[in-house]
Amino acid sequence: MKARTERPGLGWAAPAVLFFAAFGILPVIGVVYLSFTQWNGLGDPQWIGTANWAAMGSDADLFNGIGKTVTLTVVSWLLQTPLALLIGVWAAGPQRNRAVLSTLFFLPLLLSTAAISVTFVALLDPNFGLAASWGDGNFLGSPERALYVIAFVIAWQFVPFHTLLYQSATRQIPRSFFEASAIDGATGLKQFFHITLPQLRNTIIASSVLMLVGSLTYFEMILLMTNGGPGTATRVLPLHMYAKGFVGFDMGYASALAVLLVAAGAALSIVVVRSTGYHRMSSDREGA
Amino acid sequence: MHRAILAAGAVAAILLTAACGNGGPGSESAAAGGKVQVWALEDAAVNPIATASIKSFNASTGKQVELSTYVNDAYKQKLQVSMGSPQAPDVFFNWGGGNLAQFVQANQVEPLDDMLAKNPGLGDKFLPSVLDVGKVDGKQYGLPMIGVLPVVLFTNNDVFAKAGVKPPKTYGELLSLIDVFKAQGVTPIALAGSQGWTELMWLEYLLDRIGGADKFQAIADNKPGAWEDPAVIKALTEIQNLVKRGAFGTNYASVNYDNQGASKLFATGKAAMHLMGTWDFSVQKDANPKFISGGKLGFVPFPAYEGGAGDPKSVVGNPSNYYSINASSKNKDVAADFLAKSLSSDEYINGLIDAGQVPAVKGVEATLKGKPNSEFTTFTYNLVAEAPSFTQSWDQALSPKVSEKMLTNLQKVFLNKLSPADFAADMAASK
Amino acid sequence: MAVLTVTAHARKTRPARRRTVNIPAGILSAIWLAIVAVPIYFVVITGFRTPDAYTENGPLDLPTSATLENYTSLWGLGFATYLTNSLLVTAGTVALVLAVALPAAYAIVRNPNRLLRLSFGVFLLGLAIPAQAVIVPIYLIITRLQMYDSLAAIVLPSAAFSLPIAIVVLTSTLRDIPGELYEAMTMDGATTRRVFTRLVLPLSRPGLVSVGIFVGLGAWNGFLFPLVLTQSDSQRVLPLGLWNFQSQYGTNVPGLMAAVVLSALPVLALYLFGRRHLLSGLAAGFGK
Repeated sequence: MKARTERPGLGWAAPAVLFFAAFGILPVIGVVYLSFTQWNGLGDPQWIGTANWAAMGSDADLFNGIGKTVTLTVVSWLLQTPLALLIGVWAAGPQRNRAVLSTLFFLPLLLSTAAISVTFVALLDPNFGLAASWGDGNFLGSPERALYVIAFVIAWQFVPFHTLLYQSATRQIPRSFFEASAIDGATGLKQFFHITLPQLRNTIIASSVLMLVGSLTYFEMILLMTNGGPGTATRVLPLHMYAKGFVGFDMGYASALAVLLVAAGAALSIVVVRSTGYHRMSSDREGA
Repeated sequence: MHRAILAAGAVAAILLTAACGNGGPGSESAAAGGKVQVWALEDAAVNPIATASIKSFNASTGKQVELSTYVNDAYKQKLQVSMGSPQAPDVFFNWGGGNLAQFVQANQVEPLDDMLAKNPGLGDKFLPSVLDVGKVDGKQYGLPMIGVLPVVLFTNNDVFAKAGVKPPKTYGELLSLIDVFKAQGVTPIALAGSQGWTELMWLEYLLDRIGGADKFQAIADNKPGAWEDPAVIKALTEIQNLVKRGAFGTNYASVNYDNQGASKLFATGKAAMHLMGTWDFSVQKDANPKFISGGKLGFVPFPAYEGGAGDPKSVVGNPSNYYSINASSKNKDVAADFLAKSLSSDEYINGLIDAGQVPAVKGVEATLKGKPNSEFTTFTYNLVAEAPSFTQSWDQALSPKVSEKMLTNLQKVFLNKLSPADFAADMAASK
Repeated sequence: MAVLTVTAHARKTRPARRRTVNIPAGILSAIWLAIVAVPIYFVVITGFRTPDAYTENGPLDLPTSATLENYTSLWGLGFATYLTNSLLVTAGTVALVLAVALPAAYAIVRNPNRLLRLSFGVFLLGLAIPAQAVIVPIYLIITRLQMYDSLAAIVLPSAAFSLPIAIVVLTSTLRDIPGELYEAMTMDGATTRRVFTRLVLPLSRPGLVSVGIFVGLGAWNGFLFPLVLTQSDSQRVLPLGLWNFQSQYGTNVPGLMAAVVLSALPVLALYLFGRRHLLSGLAAGFGK
C-alpha cells in the first residue's frame, strides 16, 4: 500500500488530456466532420455528404499545391542541408573569430517570421528595393522564380538553427578519430568524407526530419510574402486550404483539404517518433 | 501621409486606452448600452473625416460611437468571420450589391426603410443609382458613406508631355501609346499585379467596352454560358495581348498596391498610366502631395473600343461603399440615428469633398466647383452622372468563393499560364 | 536516448582540436555570412534613415543623417499595445503548457496505467500535425465559446498544439531521474504531492526551461491564430502589427524597419542574457 502511494493517479494527467482533447483532438474530429459540410463562415454548417471530397478530383490547384509543397520541401532540404552541414563543421573549428561569426549567423533566429517576411518584401520591391538593381527586379512576381526565392528566405531563416545542430555534433566527434587518420596521412577533405560525414549521420537524419516537419509551417511566410502568387506559383497545400477557407469562405472544402494536411502531419509524427526513439521511452524504465 | 497617419494613430491610441480601461482582453464588445462599434476600411484620408463626424455626433448626443479600421484584404475576412460572432460591429462598412446581399440572406442586416421613413427627405438626398446598390430585394439595407468610386485611367502629365502625346480616347490609341512609352524606357501602365483585383479592372472595362454591361450582368445572374460568351474570351485575349506588348512592363507581378508600390511607380514618372479607382487620388494626395499640387496627375475615362458593343460612357468600379446596421446589434437605435445624422451632414460631405471625394449626393456640383481639386471631382461627378450603367466591381458582386477562384485564374491569364478558353471553362464550372 | 545532443552538451567538452583548414567550407561560410549580414544591415540602418533619404539614395546607402523619428513615431501607432499583447500571449501560453504538461509527464512516467500510455501515444501522434490544418474548426470552436477577438483565443489553441512536444521533452527529462530517488522519498512516507514539489519540480527545471523557451518562441512568433481569431486593434499582437504596419506605412520603409528592430528586442534580450537556455529551447524538440 505504501509503495503505491507514490504513483501519481490519472488525475495528474487529466488537465493536460482534457485540454488537449478540447483544443487538439476535437478540432481534428471537427475538421473531418466539416469536410462533409457546406459552410461559408456564417450560420451553421450544412451536411452535404461527400461533395467536397468529390470536388477534389477536378481541382487543378490542389494537384498544383501538392506539387509546390513537395518541390518547396525538397528544394529547401537541398539548399539548407549542405549549407548548414558545411558551415556547422567549419564553425566547430577552434579559431576564436569563429565564435564571433557564429553569433552573426545566429541573428536571423531572433526575428519572427513576420519580421523576416516584411523585411524581404521591402528588399525585393522590384522598383524601390534592392531587387531593383538586379535585372528587372521581378522576383516575387515571377512564376519561375518565386518559389525559389521563398526557399531562399526560408533558408535564410533556418540555416542558422541547423548549423547549430551540426556545429555541436561535430564538436562531439572524438579527437582521436582525426588524429588516427592524420597519422595515416589523410588530408582535410578526406577526413571530412571519411570521418566527419559518417559521424554526423544521425544529425543529418534529425535535421532532415526537422526540416520535413517544418515544411508544413512555411505557410505563414508564403502568406506574408506572395499570398500564393503570382497565380498559384507559390500556393502550397496549406495556403490553398487557407485561400479556400478564409478568402473564398468555402470552409467545407477547405476542411477536406485540411484533412489531407492532418493525415500528412500524423504520418510525419510517426516518422519523427521512429527516428528519435521517443516511442521507446514509454517502455524504457517502466516499473522501476 | 505622415501627418494623417500620426493623427489617425493618436486617435486610435486614445480610443485604445479608453477601451482597455473597460476590462481585460475579450471583455470589450458591443454590449447593450455600450459603445457603438463602427467598422470601416483603413484610409488615411477618409478616416479622419469619419472620426470628426463621430466626434460631433458623440458630443451632441452623449452617445459613444467608436471607429475601428482595417486594411482591405484583412477587412473582408474579419467582417465575414465576426458577423457570426457576438463581437460583430454595430455598423459595418460594405460594398453593397452581392457583398451586402450575402449578409442579408443570413438575416444579419437590419432594413433601413423604417429609419428612412422617420427621416423624411433623407433618402432623396442620395443619387438614386448609387442608393440602388444598397438595396436587396427592394429593401434598403445600406446607405452610401463615401464618394462614388469609379475606375478611371490616370495619366502622368509630365511623362505624356515629355513624349509629346495625348491621353488615349480609343483602345487603338492606347495600344500605340504603349509602344511609344516602351520605346522611351517608361513602363506604359503601372499595375499592382501581385494583387488580382487590380488586374480585374482591365477585364471589367474590356468586357464592358467589347460586349456591353449586360455581359457581366449575365455572369452575376448565373446565366448558363455567361462565362463562355465570345465577348469574355475576346476581353481576356486582349489582356494577354497587352501583356505580350509590354503594356505593364516585366515586373508588374511583383508590384503591390497595399504598400503603394504601383501608385509610387506612377507618381515618380517610372510609369505613364495607371488604371485605378478614383480613391487613388486621395492616396496620391497623401503619399505624393507634390504630384497633385503640381498638377501632374491627369485623368480620362477608359478608352472606347473600336467596334465594341458597349457604351464608352459606362463606368465600372465601386458605386459607393455603404454603412449597414447589424441586425443583432443591441444599439440599433443609436446606430440608425448616427447614420441619419452624420452621412448627409454638411460637415461630413464637405469633408469628403475636401479629401477629393465625390459624395453620392445630388446637386453637389456647385459645392465641388468651389472646393480644391474641383477639376478632378467635377470630372468624376460628371463621369458617373452621365454613365448609362455603373457595373460594380466583380469581386464584390460575385460570391467570395467564385471571386477567389476568378482572381487566382485571372492572375494566371496575365502570366500566360491559363488560356482565355480554359479560364472561361473553369469559371463556368464553379458555382 | 535521443539521436541528437545539442549545444548545451557540447559546451562541456570542447576538445582543442587541430585540424586542416576546410577551405570550401570556409568560403561557403563567408558567402553565407554576407547573405545573412546584408538584410540585417539593411534592417538596422534603414530604421535610422528618413523616408526621403531612403527613396533617393537607395536601400543600402550609408545613413548620412541618422534620425530617431521612426522609433518615436511607432509608439503613437499602437506599438506598445502590440508588444504588451504579445508578451501576455507568450506568458499565458507558456504558463498554461507548463502547468498542465509537467503533472501529466510525471503521471505518464511513474504510472504504467494503460489509459496513460494511450494518451501518451495520442500526444506523440500530435507531434507534427500543423496547427494551421485545423484552423477552421478552431475558429468555429472559439466563436461558439464567444471568445473570438480575445487574447485567450490565441493562447488556448497555441498551448494545445504545443502540448505534445512539451510532454515528450518533459517525460524524457523525468525518466532520467533514477527510480531509487522516488522510492527513497516514498519510503520516508512522502505523498505524491510532496514527491512532485520536492523531487520532480526541482529536477525537471532544465526541461521546463527548454520547453518554456520553445513554446514561448512559438507563441511569440505565431501569426495564423492571431490573424484568424482576433480582429480589433486592441487585441493585435506584434507579428500581426508588423503586417499591418506594412500597409499603413506604404512606401515608408524606414518606419517599417524600425518596427522590425523593436519587435526583435525582447528575443535579443533573451539571447544576450540566456544564450545557453535559448539554444537548448530552440532545439527542445530534439535535444534534452
